[in-house]
Amino acid sequence: MARFRVIALLVPFLLAGCTAKRTPDSTAPADSARGGDSAVVVPQAAPAGRMLTYEERQGSVLYAKYCAVCHGKEGKGDGFNAFNLDPRPRDFSDSAYMAALSDDQILQTITGGGRSVNKSPLMPSYGWTIDRSQIQYVAAYVRTFVYGN
Amino acid sequence: MKPLRATFAVVAVLFLVVLAVSPLKDYLREWKKYQNGYNSLVAGLPQRVKPVDIGIRQVWVQKLDRVDRCVTCHLGVKEPALRAAPEPFRTHPRIYHDVDDLGCTFCHEGQGAATEYRESIGNVKYWDRPILPRAYLEASCAKCHRENDVHGAPVLNLGRKLIRELNCAGCHRLEGYQKQWVPALDGIGEKVNRTWLVAWLKHPKAYAPSTKMPDFLLSDEEAGTLADFLLSFRSFPRDAVLEPLPAALTSGGDAQKAKLVELGATKFREARCISCHPINGKGGYVAPELGKIASKVGVQWLYNYVKQPKRLQPGVVMPRYRFSQEELAGVVAYMESEFIDYDMEKPAPHTPDPGFYEKGRALFKKYSCGGCHELPGMTRAEETGPDLSTIGAKKLYEIDFGRSGIEQTLPSYLKTKLLTPHAFGESMKMPQFGFREEEAEAIAVALLGNTGEGIPPDLVVPASPQSTFAPQGEFGKLVDDLACLGCHVMNGRGRLVATDLSLEGSQARRPWIEGYFRVPYSLRPVLTERMPNLFLSDAEIRTLVDYMESSFIADTLEHAVPSDPTAAAIGRGLYYERYGCQSCHQIGAKGGYVGPPLDKLAARLTPGWIFHWLKNPQGLKPGTIEPNNNLSDAEADALTSYLLSLK
Repeated sequence: MARFRVIALLVPFLLAGCTAKRTPDSTAPADSARGGDSAVVVPQAAPAGRMLTYEERQGSVLYAKYCAVCHGKEGKGDGFNAFNLDPRPRDFSDSAYMAALSDDQILQTITGGGRSVNKSPLMPSYGWTIDRSQIQYVAAYVRTFVYGN
Repeated sequence: MKPLRATFAVVAVLFLVVLAVSPLKDYLREWKKYQNGYNSLVAGLPQRVKPVDIGIRQVWVQKLDRVDRCVTCHLGVKEPALRAAPEPFRTHPRIYHDVDDLGCTFCHEGQGAATEYRESIGNVKYWDRPILPRAYLEASCAKCHRENDVHGAPVLNLGRKLIRELNCAGCHRLEGYQKQWVPALDGIGEKVNRTWLVAWLKHPKAYAPSTKMPDFLLSDEEAGTLADFLLSFRSFPRDAVLEPLPAALTSGGDAQKAKLVELGATKFREARCISCHPINGKGGYVAPELGKIASKVGVQWLYNYVKQPKRLQPGVVMPRYRFSQEELAGVVAYMESEFIDYDMEKPAPHTPDPGFYEKGRALFKKYSCGGCHELPGMTRAEETGPDLSTIGAKKLYEIDFGRSGIEQTLPSYLKTKLLTPHAFGESMKMPQFGFREEEAEAIAVALLGNTGEGIPPDLVVPASPQSTFAPQGEFGKLVDDLACLGCHVMNGRGRLVATDLSLEGSQARRPWIEGYFRVPYSLRPVLTERMPNLFLSDAEIRTLVDYMESSFIADTLEHAVPSDPTAAAIGRGLYYERYGCQSCHQIGAKGGYVGPPLDKLAARLTPGWIFHWLKNPQGLKPGTIEPNNNLSDAEADALTSYLLSLK
């Protein structure tokens, strides 16, 4: 029976050895995602030079076609046509301004134009030109200028 | 007896241990860890997200015969609240397909049935379709989407465009791509000199950085032999012979020459040759480099070619300019005096080695020059390169990575092959195209989509139909002679460098079109391509405009703008205050210059076109960036009235 006792003693250790592996590491949600109201809806700050997400890449193509003429390739509001406009196009690399801007506001501005958010009518509306997903792609890309990509 | 009991005891204990461990092992599955992690993540969210029941989850896509268990861990794929959650719980980016509809591995590849991370990404032995790296993901769009311009897949579209333009189908079997043969090499011996040709064959990009001709990395000897072989072809198609040079070019004093060159320089600018031809890298991109043309081609060939391009090279997209005899001589004299390569060695007398013809012919075949160039007496080359119609399904063990030391995956193989074709062995015949990295990736994407797998017919988006429009009669002859389809599209045929003319008759007014042929200008100041002045006669212009007015029209574009005296004033308000049109358009030199200036619009466009354009710009010119403002008929009428009132 002594042998059984030895084994009986061993079993908990074996179990402990297995469970030790279970500690979730990479899967544990980041603290920022756990609490706070804005953590989930507003994209988290990403390090500069990171790869664009799928949506941002899609947005970058649309941005280059429709927006860059005024807002500039780098989003600084310095496209070739910007100098004909008063007020000047918005600078998307202005992090303080962009942080205060909600996603819904960006979507609304692209969809309904400047006039739909009580801004200058010089910003046209694209809601009937590109579809809803495309507008969301552009909105996602517009957010990336803050990191200076 | 004792050893038996002891054995029995040991076995019994082992059995117990196994019994204890097996449920434990099941309890500790990797995916359960993720599912518990997901449940604790969603419990902490401000939004209400339903936790999942622990268990294997899968998407069964019957029509594709795929079972994907990726959703066992990727639990937030369809949960919009998890857009910023850490992987693997993040929401799937918005795409035009539903996960339940196509599953995961149809696009992402990898091993769908696997339930462990390492196995699911397919990075295991004997699994040939590992997960596609993100940069190559659009390859999967190509499985079903055969159309020219795939919505939302810019990389794939670029890759396909490059494959088409660089004529990969000339050497490789590729479904959905037409072979092209340009330019024919008939009469090349009368066209270029040997010094130039040898240098060109060795490094085409040194002479013309924008050329499509790749670098075959020929040795000096090969380039010399091939040049001798090509230069032995001296006759032009359809027995055309070079006309002698006019007296103005061969004789005459210095003062006379200088005057001729001056005239030529003016005509060269008026004809806007640089709209299509680059000069030392600056200018258009659709035609060959002219910066050193005088050191490339003989003066007699140049004269004959500018006079009648299609006589020497049938099918070439160069318009025949209506130069007078003197102007023609002037243009040639100007090019001869201006576009010289001062660094080129003086052509020395050269006698080809005996047997150069056979050797050159063998080289011509070896490097598959016939994939792109026609040469009299040579049959058009069949595919000499590997068949690429199912390259996306190539097995890794079939690839010889040689000593390249690259990552052993199909995408990295294709990319490396495109960037440095000789990376996998010196005997490779594939030429060096000098791609940029993103171009190589784009082509690899387009190739990876050729998987040859059976796609259910209802999923396939067929290739865009090819137009067979071929204008006949006088108009057809002019279109051919002026190479209109080299830049314009008519009823789906042609190359879209400039505008689509299919509705020109309904769009523009007759006097304006006629005037535009006489003095073409750029409608939008930011455009680089400009319509050349072809110096057409009045009768020719009449023929062209008559045809446009009778054939390039649509009855649906007719619209009578109601004559309401207040409409123009309302339209003005809409223009400036509501829709901010002045962002992009100029009136009276005020406003942006993205779109064309709108002064004197009534002289250029028909009221019907303006009205319908305002209502739906993309309906008339797909892809235009003019936004559709969803105008009501009354608003569009008012705006049209205002625009028509501009003087």
